Amino acid sequence: MSARPAGTTATAPGPRGSALARWNPTVKLGTLLLAGAAVMLVTDPVTPTVLWVAAVLAALTLGRVPAGTVARAQLALAAFSVSVFSANLLLRHDGDVLAVVGPVEVTSGALAVATSFAARTLYLGTVSVLLLTTTDPVRLMVSLHQHARLPAPTTYAVLAAHRMVELLPAEWHAIRCAQAVRDPRRTPGSPLPRSPRALGAATFGLLVAAVRRAERATVALESRGLGAGPRTVAHPVPLRAGDVVAGAGALVLVGAVVLAGWWGGWLAGPAALTPG
Amino acid sequence: MAEPTDKQTAPRTAQQTERPTGHGTAPHPAAPSPDAPVRPDRPGGRARRSGLHATVLMAVLAVVFGFVFWVADQVYAPLMLALGPFGGFADAVLGGAWIVVAPLALFILRRPGAGVLAEVLAAGAELVVFGSPFGPMVLVSGLVQGVGAELAFTLTRYRRWGWGTFALSGVTAAVVTYAYQSFAFGYLGQDLYLLRFAVLVVSCVLLSGLAARVLGLALLRTGVLDNYAVGRLA
Repeated sequence: MSARPAGTTATAPGPRGSALARWNPTVKLGTLLLAGAAVMLVTDPVTPTVLWVAAVLAALTLGRVPAGTVARAQLALAAFSVSVFSANLLLRHDGDVLAVVGPVEVTSGALAVATSFAARTLYLGTVSVLLLTTTDPVRLMVSLHQHARLPAPTTYAVLAAHRMVELLPAEWHAIRCAQAVRDPRRTPGSPLPRSPRALGAATFGLLVAAVRRAERATVALESRGLGAGPRTVAHPVPLRAGDVVAGAGALVLVGAVVLAGWWGGWLAGPAALTPG
Repeated sequence: MAEPTDKQTAPRTAQQTERPTGHGTAPHPAAPSPDAPVRPDRPGGRARRSGLHATVLMAVLAVVFGFVFWVADQVYAPLMLALGPFGGFADAVLGGAWIVVAPLALFILRRPGAGVLAEVLAAGAELVVFGSPFGPMVLVSGLVQGVGAELAFTLTRYRRWGWGTFALSGVTAAVVTYAYQSFAFGYLGQDLYLLRFAVLVVSCVLLSGLAARVLGLALLRTGVLDNYAVGRLA
């Protein structure tokens, strides 16, 4: 992945100027999707753990994601991971009984599957963090249009909707204020109501406002002739041989980890889920 | 994708709406503001033929619901921890909330593929804009859930839009999603496998199918959907 020509975009510090950020977003998305899919049928603890460590290392080095960000993400993912682990540990029965916790027997097979799924959760979450921190959504959409033949109307629509994301918090606050000021029982200066009813009303208001905005965005796009025919791209995203080589390299690495488990004999498939 | 079908269905819906409304005389009882004020680009109230109109709405719904999914993710994590070994049930209880955008898009746009596209776009927004703990596989989940929710409408040949079809949409969404999750999340072989499926079916019927129609009808009453397929039919 490092043997890539110098990027046209930033040489800025942090994840946005990293090698992973310069990687063609379409190739990156495809590669990470396949790399994630590779563990979906794996149920042994070793393979996803190795891939998780590799993903963390890639985020720290190639992605230049700050260690604090990675650590905080792992902490957030740990909640899911612990839950998945305990659920599979206690709800499965396979192999030798290792311990008895109250009415439930903890078995060796259950421990293996539970550890595997916990590591898988951490691995997929880390890949997600990698994608989120090193990908510019606009660059991704332009690249998907250029290289994945995403239809122009869909591209414009998503780009317009993406601009709307930045406006959503302000819109949300305006709706909350407007609804509060019309409440006759409210004393001026008191904080905005936080009851489920008030939040629900504000959420619906936000949805209505978003649909209205969609209507206006369509008119704006059509008046500029977008969606009427082929257009050129202002800031094209390059697709170089290096991008594809990097994707292939990453997939070979993931494949090697899975194959190593097969040769080493520790790889387990979905058959481990339904013993007997 | 769904682009060519728009051109086939749009003139048909225009013919249907033209007859009862007439030419801007009495307002239709179902719609607060009927499309009586004819736009210059739509002579005779003819439907807009651009695919952009529907696609922008799908993308905007995707972004708003991507945000809703992200909020659901934040509620989901503590709920999973609190339930301990029954954490998987948190997924089943909330399951329908992740699938609501597909039937809603179909309710509004009434065109094949709208549900799948809206759900995939919402999953994409959840992944790239807000961040998802499920990783890039959330795109696959979105595709599976969208196909599941749209299956009920495909089975009724996109002709029935009553409560029954939306309830059925919840059931098909639950069946397809659970089949995928059995492998992807490894539910297969766990205790309480069928009980969890039952919880997911109830969740999908209530929080996905029926909730989408309730939400769609409420949106319809506000008048913002007047220029979309559902507003033209009303």
